[in-house]
Amino acid sequence: MKFLTYAILIFFFTAITFSVSNAQTPKYQQPILISSAGQSADVILAGLLFKKLNLEYKTVNLAKESDLKGIKTLVIVPGFSSKGLGAAGISREDEMNRVVELINSAKEKKIRIVMLHIGGNARRGNQSDNFNKLVAESSSYMIVVSQGDEDKFFSNTAADKKVTIKLVEKIVDATGPIKELFN
Amino acid sequence: MKKHLIIAIIILVIVITLDSISAIEFIAMKSPEKLYPENSITKEASLSEYCSNLKGTSGDAEIYFFDSGNPGATVLVLGGTHPNESAGFISAVVLLENIIPKEGKFIIIPQACSSGFTCTDPMEGAPEFFTLKTKSGLRKFRYGSRVSSPLDQWPDPLVYSQYPSGQQLSGFETRNLNRSYPGRNDGTFTEEVGFAIMELIKKEKVDVAIDLHEAAPEIPIINAIIVHEKCRDIGASAVLNLEFDNLQYALEISPKKFRGLSHREWGDGTEVLPFLMETSNPIQGRLRGRTNSELIVSGKDEQYERAVETKSFRISYELTGEPLSIRVGRHIQGIKAILDSYNDVSKDKKIIFENIPSYDDLIKNGVETYLK
Repeated sequence: MKFLTYAILIFFFTAITFSVSNAQTPKYQQPILISSAGQSADVILAGLLFKKLNLEYKTVNLAKESDLKGIKTLVIVPGFSSKGLGAAGISREDEMNRVVELINSAKEKKIRIVMLHIGGNARRGNQSDNFNKLVAESSSYMIVVSQGDEDKFFSNTAADKKVTIKLVEKIVDATGPIKELFN
Repeated sequence: MKKHLIIAIIILVIVITLDSISAIEFIAMKSPEKLYPENSITKEASLSEYCSNLKGTSGDAEIYFFDSGNPGATVLVLGGTHPNESAGFISAVVLLENIIPKEGKFIIIPQACSSGFTCTDPMEGAPEFFTLKTKSGLRKFRYGSRVSSPLDQWPDPLVYSQYPSGQQLSGFETRNLNRSYPGRNDGTFTEEVGFAIMELIKKEKVDVAIDLHEAAPEIPIINAIIVHEKCRDIGASAVLNLEFDNLQYALEISPKKFRGLSHREWGDGTEVLPFLMETSNPIQGRLRGRTNSELIVSGKDEQYERAVETKSFRISYELTGEPLSIRVGRHIQGIKAILDSYNDVSKDKKIIFENIPSYDDLIKNGVETYLK
């Protein structure tokens, strides 16, 4: 009888601890890999936001499958930059292939993808939108500086894919949703 | 016979009159603007001190030194690399007519490609001058060519081979200062100007250098800060600082393989941290309508308005226009943000200055208020 009481108590304590720890476990976990899609320098700005929040992250502009080792969340910052591609010494096609492979690898490894579009209008238009579309459709969460969504490009994709989108006014405002996401 | 002679004389008189007007206007572009440096100025020099071949030529641009007398960083600000990008030139003039350094030293070259201020680009219908009503009255400023005058460097090759990389560009670019760095002491006229600026950066031990530009509204890289990779964190921090002032900027990294540009060659060839800033200027755009001096100052163009309203193009153009005060305000606030970010990371030397208007000041009072 005594044994049964202890067993029940242990069971309840374990269940409570488990449920509490589950409730505290964020959907999006660290460590985080931040990478670009289109090689705009927005990825550097994104890095500063994560640094400010003391999150465990690394930034690899030209991330590949091997960079996903041990990673729990992949944050992709889309936006085309001819100067950025020039700085990286790659073509637009190379970059598109790399991003497709990275996304596929993340999906295979069940790593969740967050899109962070912070470049506003400067990172929209034909050149950027191919990257924007690819990343938006592959993400389970989007954070977008609202100037880049004036035509509801991202909001509509989020609605179609039934994923959460957080619109913020400024780049620095993105720290709010990021903090919420990884808290 | 007599009738033909009279017609011939009339035509001759008309041609001589038109030629004379053109000649007077053309020669007028050789007269430099009178600038009024702030009393804090400590030295005036010119580029020939760094490349003697420029002595007595129209490439011998003026250099203004403002030394606080206190230890600190040395900052170079370049306006007029492209003389048809007026906000760069006028921003440098606002700085030199107001700045009071407290720590460190400022070096300002308002008309880096001084040769380009002596002519306009052919086939563009561009005005030669624009005026601003300042405290001292109406001041006239030149609106020049993107490149050095063909009278100083001619002919253009079919293909321009950049020195020393051998990178090939259109022949016209041989007179483009921002394709001519690092230049050479005995090179083409424009290469010598580039060489002199590189020498200045080395000899004066410049810590931060900022090159001020403008571009057409349809160009993707406007309202941007372009940085060499060694100062990308300072650039990123500046962009975030500017956001607090409600000014949006794109950050761009200098391509390693695109040679001859200031942000690439200054950064690779010297210790300096180089930055280049771009604002949006409708008079440079292909969509522009009436091309006159008012467009330089107001930045308001009906054709761009049409493009925005009809959504024909994805361009960054406000219906209120892109006035000179806003463009200068962006440059000045951008300089402040870059230098604030530099001061945050620089442990041993800082650049401290005062008496420079903010973006809000320039918008509220107009750029004219800050010119003597």
